[in-house]
Amino acid sequence: MSEGRISGTESNAGGAPDGALERALGDLRALSEDIESCSVLSPTGDLQYSSHGPGVERARVAAMLGALVGLAGRSARKEGKDLASQVRVRTEAGHLLMVGLEGGGTLVATTAPEARVGLVLYDMRNARAEIKKATGEVG
Amino acid sequence: MKRLFRGLLLVGALAGAVVMVKSYLQRTDSPGEEAVRIVFDDGSTRSLASNTVEGQEFTDIAHKVLEIGV
Repeated sequence: MSEGRISGTESNAGGAPDGALERALGDLRALSEDIESCSVLSPTGDLQYSSHGPGVERARVAAMLGALVGLAGRSARKEGKDLASQVRVRTEAGHLLMVGLEGGGTLVATTAPEARVGLVLYDMRNARAEIKKATGEVG
Repeated sequence: MKRLFRGLLLVGALAGAVVMVKSYLQRTDSPGEEAVRIVFDDGSTRSLASNTVEGQEFTDIAHKVLEIGV
């Protein structure tokens, strides 16, 4: 379960101040304790932050999240929309939640099956401004 | 003894028929549980059931991501 503190790995993409993204996501996890893991994907599909330790292949995680972002984009085009701003996927193992960031990035979080998903999504949406500031994106 | 055997046979046949009808109805009538909900930039939403190809694509990847975390 959530420890309320991120011990993740951050790649300083986008000229972000050191540790700013980690702090922003740490605040999010402290606020929303149902979040088990989280990451930030840049507009170009690079993994800017992952709450995972160095043991997990960042490229693999980035590829899987990129595939989900691609599926969401395909669904949007199918419906004649520009973008998917939020995606919630429910599986037996839990929920995967994605929230679009200003500038094209994506905030991703996972929760247990019994998590209060609505509240987590609300907190994720509220964290967007802080994450945008932390990633140093202009938008 | 013959009567008992006949009774058991009847009960078994009835139970089998109930199971068959139940599985048939589940197979044909179940709309599938909602597995994916997408909110678009204009506020509209789209739900995908777990038994659709598109829904399955999302859940397959999400399941792998949930196994290792992000």
